[in-house]
Amino acid sequence: MALENFISTFIVVLLPAFLISLSLYAIRVIKGPSVTDMVLAIDCITYDLCFLMGLLSILFKIGFLMVAALALALWAYVLDVYVAKYLEAREVGD
Amino acid sequence: MFIFPELNPLEEIALIIGIILTLIGVFCDIVGSIGMVRFPNFFVRLHAATVGTIGGAVYPLFGITLMSLALNYLGVMRYFIATGAFLTAIAIVLTAPVGSHALARAAHRSKTVPVEPKVCDFLKEDERLIEE
Amino acid sequence: MIEATLIAEILLAFSLTLALIFAYLAIRERDLIKAIVFSALQSVAFAYAYYLLFAPDIVLAYIAVGVGIYSILLIYGVSKTERYEEV
Repeated sequence: MALENFISTFIVVLLPAFLISLSLYAIRVIKGPSVTDMVLAIDCITYDLCFLMGLLSILFKIGFLMVAALALALWAYVLDVYVAKYLEAREVGD
Repeated sequence: MFIFPELNPLEEIALIIGIILTLIGVFCDIVGSIGMVRFPNFFVRLHAATVGTIGGAVYPLFGITLMSLALNYLGVMRYFIATGAFLTAIAIVLTAPVGSHALARAAHRSKTVPVEPKVCDFLKEDERLIEE
Repeated sequence: MIEATLIAEILLAFSLTLALIFAYLAIRERDLIKAIVFSALQSVAFAYAYYLLFAPDIVLAYIAVGVGIYSILLIYGVSKTERYEEV
């Protein structure tokens, strides 16, 4: 019981740092003067949310919640490639 | 045995390393997000994004893997969490640099971003030499 | 006092507020590529809200549609016409 209380308190104390860093990345998404700035900040927000999902699955003691983080990380890479392909060749497709 | 009396020595080493990696991850996360707001150009913000993704998401996911293998009160679920975190860390290491490199190449070649506080631009000189 | 459902409620409020802000900005934007990027970020915020309601299978389906298929389809459509919309 002492170990469980210690780990739960440790994770809850670390949570406000995530809210601050998510807000700062969101400020860059709103302010960015070009499209590539915004896509880079979305990239960073997504990988940050993956880490937050891992911590919360230890806190809630449910084991199947970690699988959603893997899909989130892979689809964020695909968005990068789409926007880069549009900007470079002015057309999307084969 | 040193701090937590109810674990093996092997599990306790894994728990302490996991906690240290998680604290490094939270620190790198805050530093990366401050850098994204304050840097002057897109090409300089790529450095801050590297700290934010690799230092802020890959290291702490390895830390969660080690931390979750040591906790006995989770039951069978600790193996699910450990495997998912390990595979997500490997996926981020393999795909995040490719994505940001493709984005930077498209931004330079299509002239979307002007290179403003500029000292020297070797890529533009090389492109002019290739065209001649 | 601090228990698991209270943490889930606070994080749910934060992520849904973020989704509302980006949905409003996606409607008011003139440049169509920036509107598509705002819509992708709104999908990520909603997927995180589904995660906090303990439903990981809906997260997988919503991410595949909201960030993957929707963005590629709309970028393909914008590449056939012009990029800035007039009033």
